[in-house]
Amino acid sequence: MKPPAFAYRRAGSVAEAVAALSEAPGRARLLAGGQTLVQELAARTTTVDTLVDIDTLPGLDHVVIEPTVVRVGALCRIATLERHAELADALPALVDSAARVAHPAIRNRGTIGGNVAHADPASGIPPVLLALDGEVVLVGPAGERTVPATEFFTGYRQTAAASDEIITEVRFARTGPRSGSAFAEISRRARGWGLAGACTAVRLDGSGAIEHLRIGLLALAPTARRAEAAERAGIGRRPEAATAAELAELAVADLEEIPSDRTASATLRRSLGRVSVRRALTLSFARALGG
Amino acid sequence: MEAQDSGALELVELRVNGVGRRVGVEPRRLLVDVLREDLGLTGTNVGCSQGVCGSCTVLVDGATVRSCLMLAVQAHGRDVVTVEGLADGAAMHPVQQAFLDAQAQQCGFCTPGFLATAVELVERDTQPSETEIREALAGNVCRCTGYEHIVDAVIRAAEAQAETREAG
Amino acid sequence: MTDTTTGTGTITHSTRYVGADLPRKEDPALVRGSVVYVDDVQLPGMLHAAVLRSPHAHARIVSIDTSEARALPGVHAVLTGEEALDHIGPLARFCAEEVVEHAIAVGKVRYHGEAVVAVAAESRYVAEDALAKVRVEYEPLPVVTDVVSATAEGAPLVHENLESNVVYHHEFAFGDVEGDFAGAAHIVRRELRWPRATAAPMETNGAVVKYDPATGRMDVWSNTNLLNFGAWVMSATLRVAPHMLNFHPMAVGGSFGSKHFLAKQVAIAGALAKATGCPVKFMEDRADNLLASDAQGPERQHVAELALDADGTFRSLRIRLLDDYGAYFMLAIAGNTNPLSQIVGPYRIRSVSYDVSAVLTNKNQQGVFRGAGADVTNWVLERLVDAAADELGFDPIDLRRRNLIQPDQFPYKIPTGNSYDSGNYPAVLARALELADIDHWRAEQERAREQGRYIGIGIATAQQRSTYYASEFWFHNVGAPAPFTTTAESVRLRIGPTGGVTATLFTPSWGNSQETVTAQLIAAELGVDPAGIAVDLAPTMHGLPSAGPGGSRMTVMLSGAITGAARKLREKIFQIAAHRLEASVDDLELRDGVVSVRGTDSQMTLADIGMQAYWQSVNLPPGMESGLEATFTYDPPFFSLPNDERTDLGNFYPIVGHGCHVVVVEVDPETGQIDFLRYVAVHDHGTVVNPRSLEGQIRGGIAQGIGIALYEQVAYDSVGQNLAGSLDEYVLPGAPDVPRVEIAFVETPSPWTAHGVKGGGEGGRMIAPPAVTRAVEDALLPFGARFDALPIRREDVVELCAGESA
Repeated sequence: MKPPAFAYRRAGSVAEAVAALSEAPGRARLLAGGQTLVQELAARTTTVDTLVDIDTLPGLDHVVIEPTVVRVGALCRIATLERHAELADALPALVDSAARVAHPAIRNRGTIGGNVAHADPASGIPPVLLALDGEVVLVGPAGERTVPATEFFTGYRQTAAASDEIITEVRFARTGPRSGSAFAEISRRARGWGLAGACTAVRLDGSGAIEHLRIGLLALAPTARRAEAAERAGIGRRPEAATAAELAELAVADLEEIPSDRTASATLRRSLGRVSVRRALTLSFARALGG
Repeated sequence: MEAQDSGALELVELRVNGVGRRVGVEPRRLLVDVLREDLGLTGTNVGCSQGVCGSCTVLVDGATVRSCLMLAVQAHGRDVVTVEGLADGAAMHPVQQAFLDAQAQQCGFCTPGFLATAVELVERDTQPSETEIREALAGNVCRCTGYEHIVDAVIRAAEAQAETREAG
Repeated sequence: MTDTTTGTGTITHSTRYVGADLPRKEDPALVRGSVVYVDDVQLPGMLHAAVLRSPHAHARIVSIDTSEARALPGVHAVLTGEEALDHIGPLARFCAEEVVEHAIAVGKVRYHGEAVVAVAAESRYVAEDALAKVRVEYEPLPVVTDVVSATAEGAPLVHENLESNVVYHHEFAFGDVEGDFAGAAHIVRRELRWPRATAAPMETNGAVVKYDPATGRMDVWSNTNLLNFGAWVMSATLRVAPHMLNFHPMAVGGSFGSKHFLAKQVAIAGALAKATGCPVKFMEDRADNLLASDAQGPERQHVAELALDADGTFRSLRIRLLDDYGAYFMLAIAGNTNPLSQIVGPYRIRSVSYDVSAVLTNKNQQGVFRGAGADVTNWVLERLVDAAADELGFDPIDLRRRNLIQPDQFPYKIPTGNSYDSGNYPAVLARALELADIDHWRAEQERAREQGRYIGIGIATAQQRSTYYASEFWFHNVGAPAPFTTTAESVRLRIGPTGGVTATLFTPSWGNSQETVTAQLIAAELGVDPAGIAVDLAPTMHGLPSAGPGGSRMTVMLSGAITGAARKLREKIFQIAAHRLEASVDDLELRDGVVSVRGTDSQMTLADIGMQAYWQSVNLPPGMESGLEATFTYDPPFFSLPNDERTDLGNFYPIVGHGCHVVVVEVDPETGQIDFLRYVAVHDHGTVVNPRSLEGQIRGGIAQGIGIALYEQVAYDSVGQNLAGSLDEYVLPGAPDVPRVEIAFVETPSPWTAHGVKGGGEGGRMIAPPAVTRAVEDALLPFGARFDALPIRREDVVELCAGESA
């Protein structure tokens, strides 16, 4: 399994990368950590005319924690997120999710931008983006634009990014005091691809009832999605075990496009999804209650 | 930078096991192939070419990398350590010694990959629990040992590392 | 210390070496990465091969256009199956039936992934570029993907020259099965399915072949076990005379049987080497290996019955099965004759019927996978025993204990004619139960159930035969065309002029510690430090008979060969010493590398003796040859031929080990997660040479047993597509999935082998699956669990528990 030949260029800036993509629309692709793309090239399931290497492009690996938003540069490595102490306080769900991406060697090279751009339904970051009201910042020939996470994941491994756009940053909303977020996932063998998972984010009002709830689902649809019905049903409820159990049941009840294949049946994924949502909610509640 | 024609060679300058090396490579060449064939370092093994088994794991700038998932051109300017670079002459690296003492290998094919992962783990984490060790090793597949002796080795290596830290 | 008087001096065996956890001699090179595997071999001018594989499970090859591929710069040769016939013949096979296989398909393809075109180019990269330019036109044919469709009326034939896809059928019957069933108080019946699996060692199969037309000599560097006996097996395929074929033994990155008859990769490299005039390397990538390595395991559907008396005494065993062999039949039914060596397990069952149908389908063919089919029958028998306990209200431990062969019954001849040499099965069971603290876990299980948690306990008592003999490959055919009876193993020992010891082996090294075991055994014979012994592997042109690893034979075979060679060396050592010390041989003793006259200070070291032997011929006894070297070719002991009717198969695998596994798991009904709480394995492999090393093999085997119980399955879909083409799909257990295993040894030495050793390499994989299966089943008995098929996947647990609670 060896890659076919391609032209290669290293981009020194975002502008250069965009220009390179524009020159060969659809036939030039970005290479960052390469943990997905190099494997696809080696298996020859993907071909490309030109590879635009942005792996060492400067200025896109920041983690900036602001009062209402966390901004993460697209080239920030998953391993950096996993070990980021401040981020663990500010957005524990993102750190939990990063820690569960594959294995250390994959996390050392893989980037958050790559994870989001590839948009595999079993990828860990997209559900976190959805649950944390995220945004994806894109730069293309026409300049910069920001796409809400809810509009970014459009289908199986499909995103709203055009073939001549580069993701420069992903943003996660912080929901203020009395908030808690968490990520939970179940794999067939330790650290393999998730068979199902969830990211949940909750904020409580002054009386301790849920006033804000988001549930992002992993591997339970052709792409990452939210469990809107369960989110609505959670408003006004108390952050306790019975709530977590009921909302988890609701979150998986109306899913109609659960992937069912040799890796896992729909029945299994639904059950694992229910457990994942319940576990994520339980931990979110604990964190929101100041645990 | 202008795009090179496919097939044209890229100059890659890197340090491998402490020695500066220069190779001209097609951009499509995988780092593992350049290490094994162009640089003669056959200690790193290819188990799957799919990034799943971890046999090809090396250290790049001190961090583990699956060398079958890295293009050699992406190693330009970097510091690579393969299994051949762990020992210091006749003196084994402490992690290698721990593997010897625990009899952590049978056929040895996966061993270089495990060594790289173990080196990264013990150098970063002072007191990993057995569960944490097993999770850190989950991306390296062994078909011979059932993992127990490998875990024993990493526990030993972590203890030795903790002692060194305390002493130093 | 044990003393043995042989009439040629007294030898004191040093037991400080046999049974010692000596560090492995192989290990320093492994941790340094300096050992040479096939893919590390680089020869000047060497080309690299790649293979184009069929996307169809069954199709006629209509046309192949390789013109563009040939024209690609860097490509030296492109061979279709037809073109390869100019250089190589069909692959050898052990079956009598006319099931012809070519290394590159000729005329039609019979499984997804079968080789259609091979390319040799200046790099693997260019070779794969060339494959992309080959155009093959196929005419797809109807596909048979399981034993049911393959045996249906009018099923498409995998081999059109055969009348049916049932390539072989026979009922082996031993004793009065009908009578024993008729007189039984109870009959327990199960339909049991064992999944197709593959060995998937970390190193794939490969070969570097160099052919010199000037001399007619072909050199092969391959991780195949086909070395010395392989020269004549591969000779007709490679069209090189056996004595001109030189196989170089390699360090091998794991085999577990899958490299035992590795021939196709050698043939492909050989054909390309002849076609190009250059050395050629063909190294499988992982997809090649998973799709087409000819090493998949049995895939069996059984109807199995156990007949019992009212008090639970086992009377008789009846198994009828269909085995899905895939598209070819290279080993005939070796995977079904092998289990007949131990088919009754450790129990006093007095009659057996084993009715086997071998069915061809459109899948990659079976090879041998650790256990060689006896892993499957262990599982079948233990499933029946557990079923009997459940149905008839017996305690599963008591039921086993009451039926075990007793220690005073050895050697024990089982109904098939094979013998068990030695054993103490009650002691093994008792030790396992004691170590596992069964009562504690039964109490835990009850406590857990009260909390809504599910803990289960599984026990298996089963056999691990070792040291395969040749007849299992052909006794299924009365009038077999090649009834060979030799599976020898040789060693050359040399003591140099300064007393240094060199051992030469003629076998590849699978990671099974044979260098270390060799050194320990030599140390035991000669009293020299094993760390100072050099062990080397010799290529076949310099080679003596060897069958290599497999069937857990190496420890027994090396033991016998080393003992034999050491005895010859000692004779010469004593003769030289007697001559030099002016003593009688009967007064001499060899202890720890020193020969002394008993009761005096008069002595010579092996270094002294070596110096005389090589450099002081005038000091040697008159007529003695210079030098100090001996070879020995050891044939496994106690073999006997089958009778003509095949109602007595003879002794064909009589060195038999045994083990008991106790497994405790907790199962989460909502997620299907299975966690191991305790794993105890007590094994008896006779005298243990290197405990830590054998423990490693057992733990590795148990990991593979857990793999097939819970994770591994080669699945083909309804149109014969192999769904497990990567390690993401063929899931191997990882470090978090395999528990710590507490191992204890009970040693009942074999009366028939040197040092009383038996083989133990396969035992972990042969005994784990039934214990793990039962543990999960026991946990989920409240849900009505019954697992008659493997693997037990998460969905099987979740769906069972959801159904039950709904």
